[in-house]
Amino acid sequence: MIVVTDWIVFFITAALLLSALLCFTAAVIGVYRFGFILNRIHSSGIGDSLGFLCAISAVIIATGLKMDSLKLMLLILFMWFTSPVSSHFLSQVEYYTNEHLYRYTDRIIKEESKDREKRV
Amino acid sequence: MKEWFTRWLNGDLELLEHVSDASEIPDSPREELKTKRKEFRQRIYDRPDMDSIIRAEQKGFLAIYHTIAIISCVVLIGVLLFTVAHLPRYGEENPYTMEVVERYVEHGVEETGAVNIVAGMILDYRAFDTLGESHVLFTALVCVMILLKLDKKTIRGGYLDSYYTVKQDTYFDVSKDTIIRLAGTVLVPCIVLFGIYVLLNGQNGPGGGFSGGAIMGAALIMFATAFGFDRMDRVFTEKVLSLTVFFSLSFYCFAKGYVFFTGANGLDNHIPKGIPGAILSGGLILPLDIAVGMVVACTMYGFYSLFKRGSIGGA
Repeated sequence: MIVVTDWIVFFITAALLLSALLCFTAAVIGVYRFGFILNRIHSSGIGDSLGFLCAISAVIIATGLKMDSLKLMLLILFMWFTSPVSSHFLSQVEYYTNEHLYRYTDRIIKEESKDREKRV
Repeated sequence: MKEWFTRWLNGDLELLEHVSDASEIPDSPREELKTKRKEFRQRIYDRPDMDSIIRAEQKGFLAIYHTIAIISCVVLIGVLLFTVAHLPRYGEENPYTMEVVERYVEHGVEETGAVNIVAGMILDYRAFDTLGESHVLFTALVCVMILLKLDKKTIRGGYLDSYYTVKQDTYFDVSKDTIIRLAGTVLVPCIVLFGIYVLLNGQNGPGGGFSGGAIMGAALIMFATAFGFDRMDRVFTEKVLSLTVFFSLSFYCFAKGYVFFTGANGLDNHIPKGIPGAILSGGLILPLDIAVGMVVACTMYGFYSLFKRGSIGGA
């Protein structure tokens, strides 16, 4: 019986770690391949939120419910609280300093209006 | 001068003479400058007797200089090679270092009263070293102050009204933002509490003055970022900072001086060591940790404030 629960814990941990790896891979590829900074912030946010959650919850499940796992939960809370704040200020600085931001926004507006015309 | 005066008296002098001279500008002033420089260089350096002058003045000095340099290099190389030849082999037990390590491991808890042997080492056995480290931080803060602090002359001279200071600072002044205010409200007390925990737990576990002070300094920086320097300046002025650093360092000096004068290693001082593992244990380690933590926190916040706006606690 103990062996079965051990295997279940192992498989859940492995699945969570693999999904965390997937998230981080996507985040890294996005950060290096995207050209525009807001897209980069978005892709790094994937790693910061979902990848971090998966990795830390895998460690929590592997160690079981102890004081250490409670501390790790606190770590998730901290990361989820601070990461959006830093992304927010990165995008704000980009908004204030980038003179050519209107090009991107204009393009988006044009595409949206085209979509609307198609629908009509 | 006299010639010029007599010419002027006789009426020979044209007042616009020099102007007409100046009108004859050579085709390329750069060429003229080049030739002038060349002449100057020849006049100074290419004198035929220059070599003999240098030789006469510096020959003896250069000989002494070279011999001393060669001798000191050879002696240094010899001493270092001699020492390396007498070092014990890597990994072998050697009496020079293993004795001290064994002493720390076996008698550390008993002699210092601290469960964390590292804290016992850096704040009891080798307290002078830590005192020097805190003074290094203090000196760094003083140097940054000398370099970056804006004086009244700069502020009054209208330098601060320029575009690059005021305008950009208002662009990036995040202290009016709701998001960071909420983040600061939630995070700053937690970070300060964690810093105090690390600071007070230095003798019983990982932590101590440097790490706890760094965490508390980060909390101070976070507060200043989230709520603006105006609120920070109500409490944390430059006077507060200098008094805190001064009293921390002088307390460290006097407390540790007392211990060393009454015989180090707890021979004859009257500081209770307490039970190892309790919060109030380790003799002087806890107060010294607090002193070091205060210095580190003040230094970190002082660096941030000086780099951000050129003053601590108001311009």
